[in-house]
Amino acid sequence: MFEARLTEGSLLKKIIEAIKDLVQEANVDCSEEGLTMQAMDASHVSLCSLNMRHGGFDHYRCDRSISLGLNLANLGKILKCAGNDDVVTLKAEDEPDTLTLMFESPNQERISDFELKLMDIETEHLGIPNEEYKCTISMPSGEFQRIVRDLAVIGETCIITCTKEGVKFSVSGDLGNGNVTVRQSSAADGDEKDQVKIQMEEPVTLNFALRYLGFFTKATPLGSTVKLHMSPDVPIVVEYPIDGIGSISYFLAPKIDED
Amino acid sequence: MNGRGGGRGGSNNGGNRNWKDQQKRGGSNNGGNGAAGGPQKRPRNGTGNDGGDNDDDFGEEFLELEDQIAAELAADLPPEEYEQLNASSTETINEDTKLSWRRPSVPPLDVKNESLTLQWLDVDMTVGKRLEKNPAGGRVPGAPSGLVPILRFYGVSPVGNSVAVFVHGFTPYLYASCPASFMGSEASFRKAMNDRLLADRQRGGNRGGGGAAGTESNDLCLGASIETDKRSILGYVADPNQTFYKIYVATPNLVPTVKRVLEDGLEVPGFGRLHGVLTFESNVPFVLRFMIDKDITGAGWLECPKGTYRVRGEREKESHCQIEADIVYESLEGHRPEGQWSKLAPLRILSTDIECQGRKGHFPEAEKDPVIQIANCLTVQGEREPIVQNVLTLRGCLPIVGAQVLTHEKEEDLLLSWRAFVQEADPDILTGYNIANFDLPYLLRRADTLVKRAPKLKVFKELGRLRRTLATMKDTTFQSSAYGKRENVETTVHGRVVFDLLPYMFRNHKLSSYSLNSVSAEFLGQQKEDVHHSIISDLQNGTDEDRRRLAVYCIKDALLPWKLMEKLSVLVNYVEMARVTGVPMAFLLTRGQQIKVFSMLLRKCRQSALLIPNLPKNRQDEGTYEGATVIEPKKAFYQDPIATLDFASLYPSIMQAFNLCYSTLLSREEKQALPPSSYITTPSQESFVKPSVRKGILPLILDELLAARKRAKRDMAAATDPMEKAVQNGRQLALKISANSVYGFTGATVGQLPCIPIASSVTSYGRDLLYQTKAFVEEHYTIEKGCSANAEVVYGDTDSVMVRFGVPTVEEAMPLAERAAEEVTKIFPPPIKLEFEKVYFPYLLMNKKRYAGLLWTRPDKYDKLDTKGLETVRRDNCLLVRRVIDTCLRKILIDRDVPGAIGYCKHVIAELLQNKMDISLLVITKALGKSADESGYAAKQAHVELAMRMKKRDPGTAPNVGDRVAYVIIQAGKGAPAYERSEDPVYVLENRIPIDTDYYLQNQLSNPLTRLFEPIIDNPGRRGGREGGRKGGRERRCKEEIGGIGGLGRGLFASFGRSRGKACHGWVVPPCPLPVPPLPSRSPSLPSPSSSPTESLLSGDHTRSIARPTPTAKAGGIMMFAVKKLKCLGCKTPIPETEKSTLCVHCAPREAEIYTQKALEVAGHEGVFAKLWTQCQRCQGSFHQDILCSNRDCPIFYKRKKVQKDLADAQYALDRFAF
Repeated sequence: MFEARLTEGSLLKKIIEAIKDLVQEANVDCSEEGLTMQAMDASHVSLCSLNMRHGGFDHYRCDRSISLGLNLANLGKILKCAGNDDVVTLKAEDEPDTLTLMFESPNQERISDFELKLMDIETEHLGIPNEEYKCTISMPSGEFQRIVRDLAVIGETCIITCTKEGVKFSVSGDLGNGNVTVRQSSAADGDEKDQVKIQMEEPVTLNFALRYLGFFTKATPLGSTVKLHMSPDVPIVVEYPIDGIGSISYFLAPKIDED
Repeated sequence: MNGRGGGRGGSNNGGNRNWKDQQKRGGSNNGGNGAAGGPQKRPRNGTGNDGGDNDDDFGEEFLELEDQIAAELAADLPPEEYEQLNASSTETINEDTKLSWRRPSVPPLDVKNESLTLQWLDVDMTVGKRLEKNPAGGRVPGAPSGLVPILRFYGVSPVGNSVAVFVHGFTPYLYASCPASFMGSEASFRKAMNDRLLADRQRGGNRGGGGAAGTESNDLCLGASIETDKRSILGYVADPNQTFYKIYVATPNLVPTVKRVLEDGLEVPGFGRLHGVLTFESNVPFVLRFMIDKDITGAGWLECPKGTYRVRGEREKESHCQIEADIVYESLEGHRPEGQWSKLAPLRILSTDIECQGRKGHFPEAEKDPVIQIANCLTVQGEREPIVQNVLTLRGCLPIVGAQVLTHEKEEDLLLSWRAFVQEADPDILTGYNIANFDLPYLLRRADTLVKRAPKLKVFKELGRLRRTLATMKDTTFQSSAYGKRENVETTVHGRVVFDLLPYMFRNHKLSSYSLNSVSAEFLGQQKEDVHHSIISDLQNGTDEDRRRLAVYCIKDALLPWKLMEKLSVLVNYVEMARVTGVPMAFLLTRGQQIKVFSMLLRKCRQSALLIPNLPKNRQDEGTYEGATVIEPKKAFYQDPIATLDFASLYPSIMQAFNLCYSTLLSREEKQALPPSSYITTPSQESFVKPSVRKGILPLILDELLAARKRAKRDMAAATDPMEKAVQNGRQLALKISANSVYGFTGATVGQLPCIPIASSVTSYGRDLLYQTKAFVEEHYTIEKGCSANAEVVYGDTDSVMVRFGVPTVEEAMPLAERAAEEVTKIFPPPIKLEFEKVYFPYLLMNKKRYAGLLWTRPDKYDKLDTKGLETVRRDNCLLVRRVIDTCLRKILIDRDVPGAIGYCKHVIAELLQNKMDISLLVITKALGKSADESGYAAKQAHVELAMRMKKRDPGTAPNVGDRVAYVIIQAGKGAPAYERSEDPVYVLENRIPIDTDYYLQNQLSNPLTRLFEPIIDNPGRRGGREGGRKGGRERRCKEEIGGIGGLGRGLFASFGRSRGKACHGWVVPPCPLPVPPLPSRSPSLPSPSSSPTESLLSGDHTRSIARPTPTAKAGGIMMFAVKKLKCLGCKTPIPETEKSTLCVHCAPREAEIYTQKALEVAGHEGVFAKLWTQCQRCQGSFHQDILCSNRDCPIFYKRKKVQKDLADAQYALDRFAF
């Protein structure tokens, strides 16, 4: 028996929105510790990893580990039926064929339940080995989204250069080129959320496909901050912490220059 | 006769060179004229015709034949040196070996009392001195002096000796219409024309550089006579008086010149100026002219009657034929192919294949890459086994059972040894797969390259039967509406017919791949090892054993074309076609359809004293006309018998019945003069006279063809000898095709003698007949008229109607249909005949020209499953589509199991989604026209882009221009264009790249399946579930069991895996290893499909189980960094990294069971792999060597690759138990 109750049901909606363009079908693994999901996009360039700790749920019960094969688009459609303030409860059997979703309005006036047929997805379980990253940049997620959106107008590939002074995002394309540099905020500058922080051992420069960074910024509504982890010649990690429950991380392989 | 052979040859050479010069002059004089274009502008669609579908261009024919002469050895090779080289080229080969190659020796021939007979295959023309003495006595006809045309017929005597017959004295001629006022002008006309021709020659001569002018005659126009007993074929004219000049000229190349002169204008002293004169039969190739006048058919038997011919002595021979004879054309007799003359001589067929040592990444080039092996397979027509199989190799090679192996240390020796073989074996037909475009040109070019360092190769190119004459090549473009555009190298090997099997396949069979391999698989059920050309080099540089391997492979390549020829009766059918249509064999291979009809027309016209005008070309004003009609299909799945009534030879019979012909067509003026009872008016408002007034030529030809076909069919039935049967079958087929092509000849607007009134009348009658039939049947077969139901015409196309009589069984339908056919036949004039041939029951009518049904010709048992217009041949579909459509039809029509068919479809779709599909079924192939870096393609195309990517990966194995690129569609990000999603199937297998299953569902399977099931079930194509079209509220209600698919099994063990699903926990004894066929057509464990109308094929539970392979790190992207995490083998939940266990705690109790499953899985894969491996070993013919084959047309290749991967995975899983 698996049961997970989340007061803030809209969180689930946002998570699905953040993933479904990149991944169409995925296994969500439920264990005693919580929910995890990892999946590659169709062209196996990036990997998306979701982690929700059991403590973040109002109620969490998982008797034995199970995998839920979900069609994320269909799950998204069902979640559309939930109100933004609804409490969402997920339920499944030990050897499930369906996932039951129950939506309760805050005042308990309206209770609806839906069943989503599960898929049987045969796929490997992947992970990116943990790494000590040379640079970690923490910045407002909205700012990151805007940079990616702006640069995508000009070109396909974004060069991210991280130095002590700040992070430079550069792009060049047919119509011209562009650079956006974000400086490290001084400690005094206002709200913590709006600050840019750079922790760095050595400068790093990497190339990435803007298309995929664009997909990642779909997670912006999940939190005010985004963290970029970079090291030379390894994938960038774009991590969106989700308050109190976990995080969603995207891994993107750097583009290697073809000559 | 000439005293010495050498002397004769020498003088001939001089003459021939000179002849070539003349041609050049002719060409430069009328350079721009497409019809008579010079030899320099060789490509057959001359400059005048800009790329229309000019099927034939007869005007150039003269020059065509002349070209063959222009290849004698240059003067820099003196006769002595030639003789020496010629003799030394065969020295190295031992006498016994040579003996085994040779033809039977010549029995003594008594010229006075025995006639010389031969079946001829090839003919060419030369010019030379006139024959001095007629062996038959009497004078030698033709020009009294100068060079005269001589025809050379090459053939085989009944005992198998090669014979060349030199036919002398035939004079080329043409007709031209002659105004009545010019009566009596013959002498003046001849003189005027001759002067004009001389002047032309003079002008050209100053430019072209003379030559041995002394041998030329001043008589170019040999004579002109006025004939009054002939008429033009075009249009019916009551007045029989038409006058023509018949103009004789010295050489055939003067015919177009005369034509041009007459069109441009010629002053005839004393009579006035001729201008814009229409010529007749001035476009008949000389050889054909001769054949028609002598009534000689193509590939027929010739006889030199006793006492009329002279056999040349060994020293005066010009060819390598065993017998060489001179005869005057009047004495030569051609036999009609009847009785004993319908047989085939013991023709020798040589099938050849070469191997070249290419460099990595490059297709072999003759200028750089050596020829390393030449394999030969020599056979005699009518014998079951080859008489010689051998392989000539460069460097050592171990012996091969059943074949001679001749090793050589130097490439030039290898080449010369092959020439020696060809000359000793003296084949009549050279065949092979793509020899015309690859092997032969390669050998010739290679010899050209090597001759610089090895002068003895000067004689290599003498592969034909003429001494001191080299084989030649030229590039041609062949364009025809029937065969499409093809660029070819045309190789002329004098006296031998080059019969390449690859173009034959292109022309006659629609296949998805034309590689020798897949063609052999298709027709012979034989596969061969396909050594990629990048490996050949390694083998050649290896040991004698390696080279032996290559040799075995090479021999097989030489053997297969011959086997194909045998199997498909190619030779017999072509010989019969040549005989029926009366053109030389070579025309059938290099020319289009029209020449055949033209030949028949000329022959018939000659008998009826009609002449065929040479009309100006490119008349665009003819326009088009309405074609055949289609009765709107009533789409449905008919579960009762549908009878098919066909018109037998509809178009020919219309032409016969209504006397449609050039010679019966009435102009408006002529029509006025005739009583209405003497002509008919066709539905397209043309008028033709009735047969009682004048019988048309085309109907006459058709009468004869169809009568002959009837005879041939009768003879075929009566024949006891299988060879005889094959000949008669070939004959009746040839007759049928010929009869049907007559209509096309009249309708080809850029053709030889187009006549749109005839063609449009034919089709208009065709439409009429079809509608009348429909009306008649629906009117007379009704309940009122005593039938059990109202008949209904559900569909009709061109010459057939499909009638539903409303009776439930085939037994009842057949007599009804027979009666209907008889009755309908009665309302039409003979010989139009409606035939009842077959009943479809059941019948699935999908659309126009798209249907399928079980075909019954007897009431007790169906004959076969018949389909029209389905996705079974189209090449841009993958094999899966064909397989699925085929199986579904079988289930629906034969088993009458619609739910079964639906279940099968779902099963296939499920397999596809679970990555269990055999990848060879998903491969799409497309020919690579131009390389991508050329600007040839504006838009990016999937296969072109892939070829480029493959080149980057490994230039050695990347497809080259002209190859067919095989690819599959792989998954890529949202919105990635198709050209980025194509990938090499082997690369996909090796790197486990996920296939874009959705593409295969949507773009490949969806439409054909929807069409197929549309008449049967509702909404076959709806894809509700997977896309999630239904709202959640309804989702809840349709709670169904997922079909117990565990998804454990993979690949070939699909059904095995399924039976081990979650549903059954017990120990399952696996079924015996599955046979190789990839799609088990029945799967009993499938959930029984409900036939509710909302059930959809492309969505639903069967699409809810998917598998997504994880690409290897080599595939790039994130996979270079990702690591696989351990999962429980039982329930697939991840195992924490701290534990190294195989199973999770919940599955641990089932450890023994799961271990057994995995062990069985490994064993299963091993079994399959072993079988596939053995299969490949068998195919390569050796059990001791590695398999090198990388044949991308072979399903086993892909299966082997795939199971190899699967096995490795399964083994890895098993190893995790670490017992």
